[in-house]
Formats: sequence, C-alpha cells, structure tokens
Amino acid sequence: MELIDLADMPNGKSDFVGHLRNVCESLGLEYASYASTHPLSGTVHAFTTYPDRWKNHYMEHGLHLQDPTLEKAARSIAPVDWGRLERSANFQSVFSQAYDFGLPDTGVTIPVRGPFGEVGLFSVSAPLPTDGWQKLRTQIIGNLQSSAVYLHDAVMTSETVMKSLRFPHLSSREKEILQWVAAGKSQQDIGDILSISLRTVEVHLRSTREKLFALTTAQAVGRGISLGLITPS
Amino acid sequence: MILVIDALNRDTFGSILDEMYQLRARVFSDRMGWDVKITNGREIDEFDDQNPAYVVQLDEDLNVTGCARLLQTTGPHMLSDVFSDILCGEPPLRSALMWESTRFCVDHDRLDHGKGGKSIAHATCELMVGILEYARTAGIEDIVTVIDPIMNRILKRSDNAPYDYVGETVGMGKVKAMAALLECSEERIKRVRAFASITGNIFIPENELAEMMTAKVRPIMTTDLQDYFDDQFSSATNEREKAATRALQQALGDVSLH
Repeated sequence: MELIDLADMPNGKSDFVGHLRNVCESLGLEYASYASTHPLSGTVHAFTTYPDRWKNHYMEHGLHLQDPTLEKAARSIAPVDWGRLERSANFQSVFSQAYDFGLPDTGVTIPVRGPFGEVGLFSVSAPLPTDGWQKLRTQIIGNLQSSAVYLHDAVMTSETVMKSLRFPHLSSREKEILQWVAAGKSQQDIGDILSISLRTVEVHLRSTREKLFALTTAQAVGRGISLGLITPS
Repeated sequence: MILVIDALNRDTFGSILDEMYQLRARVFSDRMGWDVKITNGREIDEFDDQNPAYVVQLDEDLNVTGCARLLQTTGPHMLSDVFSDILCGEPPLRSALMWESTRFCVDHDRLDHGKGGKSIAHATCELMVGILEYARTAGIEDIVTVIDPIMNRILKRSDNAPYDYVGETVGMGKVKAMAALLECSEERIKRVRAFASITGNIFIPENELAEMMTAKVRPIMTTDLQDYFDDQFSSATNEREKAATRALQQALGDVSLH
C-alpha cells in the first residue's frame, strides 16, 4: 500500500487528513479517523475524513464522551470490530445519530499503544453488508495495523519535545542487519552471513523501519546513517 | 477450548481470570521459583493493569488448564522492562505486527492426573494454536514469547519449533528463561493442529460459555437439598412462601458459583 510520507513534508506540517484519505482510497474504505491524547502535553489530536456536518454534530453533542469505538477500543490490544460493541447502549445512541447522517455502522477501531502507555485510536468504516465487511477487514487488517502505528508515531513526534524523547533505539542485531543492507547485501545473504533465518532478518528489518519511521528499507538506511546509527559504506 | 478475555469481557469472566491468576502463582512461583509477586495465592503484576488480552484454556468442566498473556510490542511490555536480562540490556523489537506473549503455562497437575487424560503436549499445542489464530485475526504476523527450556522442548517436539530466539537464555529462579520467535502463519497453525489432532473451531463463543457457567451451578445442589426445596414448595401456603423458597434456592445457586 502507498503511504504518504509523514516525516518530511515540505512546509514542516504533516497532512494527517490527507494520509487518512489515502488509506481509505487504497484499501477500499469510506471513512477514517484518528484520535489520541498526548501523554506529556495533554493535547488532544483528532483527524477525520467524516463530513463537516457530522464533525460539528459530534462535537456539539459531546459524542466523543460516549462513543464506544473510542472508550471501549482504547482498552483492547486487538482491533475491535464495531459489531462487538453493538449491545452497548452508547453504541445505539451514537450510531442511530450517525445513521441519520447517512454514515455506516460497519467498521473497526485499531488501538495503538505507544512507549509511554498512551493510546492512539485509528478507526475505519465502510457501508458494506456483514459478510462483505468481514471479508474486507480480514484482507486489510495487517495494513491497518501498520498504518495505525505509523500514523500514531507521526502524530506523537509532531511535537518537538517528543522527538527527542523518542530517539530510535536499535538493538545491536538491528544495527548489524541494517549495516549489511547498506553494504548492498540481500536479506538472504544477510541471513547466511549471520547464520540466522530469513524470517529473523525480515522481522528485525521491519522493527528497524518502524523505529526509524521509514516506509521503505532504503529510507531506513538513509535515516540510520543520518542519525549515526550505522556508517555509510 | 480457548477463551480470549480482554478488558471488554473481563467483567463477565471474572471467576475464570481469578482461577488463572491462581494457576500462574502455582506455576511461576511454586514450580519455577520466579521472583513474582503473590497476593492471596494469586500472581498479578503491573502488566495485568495494562489491559492485556489473555488466551485462556478451559477443560470440559470449565477449569482453567492453561493461559498466556498478550501485549503489543509498540507499548509497554515485559521484554522492554522486566525481562531486559534476556535481551542483555538491548532494546526489544518493536512492531505493529508483533505481539509479546508472556506467562505462558499449562497446569501440569491437572493435566497429569485429571480425568480428561489430556497430555501436557496436547494442551500446549491447543493453547499455542489459540494464540496464533487470535493474533492472526488481528493482523499480527509474529509472536515473541518468553518461555522456559522445558516449554521450548515441548514446542520443538510438537512440530512447533521457534524459528529463532532473541537475546540469551538466562537463569531465572529454579529454571531458565528465553525469548522465542514464532510466525503466525497458516502453515505453522496447520502443522501444530495436525500434530495434536486438533480440528474445527477451538474458540468458545462468549455467550455460550456464559450459559455453560450458569449450567455448571445446577449439579452442585445435592439431592437432599433439592428434596428439601421441593417439600418447601409443595407445603407453601401462599405466594410469599413460594417466592422466599425460590429466592433461597437462587441465592444458594449464586453462592456456589463463586
């Protein structure tokens, strides 16, 4: 999936809503939202692709205070399908109003937990019948997990104080593997050189990319060098 | 049978969680001698306050026979904190697609002498399939799991060998501990299922279990006690006495549930 690079926007401002739109478009979703409370500043970050009239209604009526896709999902480690929330009274209340605005009630919320225990909530929805929705969700769930953490990390580091606190900590193994990538070795080669499985190489590289906030391995090499974590070869 | 308990359904299955904490005390404190905090015969730590997901294994009588605790590696988890010895002080892997499994154990006593005759290996396989399938549904691709060498051998013998380990095997209490990597692939799940002859859905639907837990209460009422209630009912002269009998019967049922 194509992700918008949120790290290096030309004007220094990240286009979070544009990123959400991009996620929707590439995964076949109707709407996407993200919300979190910053662990240090207490600032609430919220972005959505929902239409303005729903945003206004939602805020005016304080629906965020009873929205189970926020309150309940924040306490789960796994994605929470909205179908699991249907029995709660708050669900009926919030979603009967959403229905009047022509918004779907089939969706899923991905909770992200950050290093400070803070929670980011990434929600997506699509107006599909139950079986169609489940099929789509199963297909894209891995993508959604990655997008959720990527977006959460981007939002959290958008405040300068967090950038320094969240300096990426790579393990020796992660640095070693990234150094071999910089030297032009393939993942299979690296596995052979270090006598570890290909899967181990992949898992460490994935972790490295996410820690360095890189969308591609090439980008991770660049960031690794610029941060002095590895040396150019 | 496998039940996943998280913050959304923990109120319904509180008694099962309580039994799980007691199993963890027997395993990690008594048997393995780990330096874990025991309160009232229950092993509970600060990560239990982080709303983890528990994969709990139950036998036919709904006794807890195994469990594991899952946390996201993007947030606070054990390898980033208390198990830093295993990683030799190195920072842990962090990924949206990797979960950490800790407090993985099965009840040796019950499985050895229990009437079901289920072996420890079979229970371990079912619990592992539970973790892998639950994680896979959530889009997770790898599990990093803290285990002891005995569990490691069981995994290897049941066609479920970790594809690698991170950090080192370090001494912890009476046994050693290590962090193993397992991919949540369809192939691995198939292999473990085949090894332990596990077929079909292993997850108990929540509402069915809630019903089973209520049904479990009934047989506890002894025949004598049931006769007594029947007598009370037939000799009741008005609705008030009948209602009182019903209430007493209900109250006794509720008591035996806990």
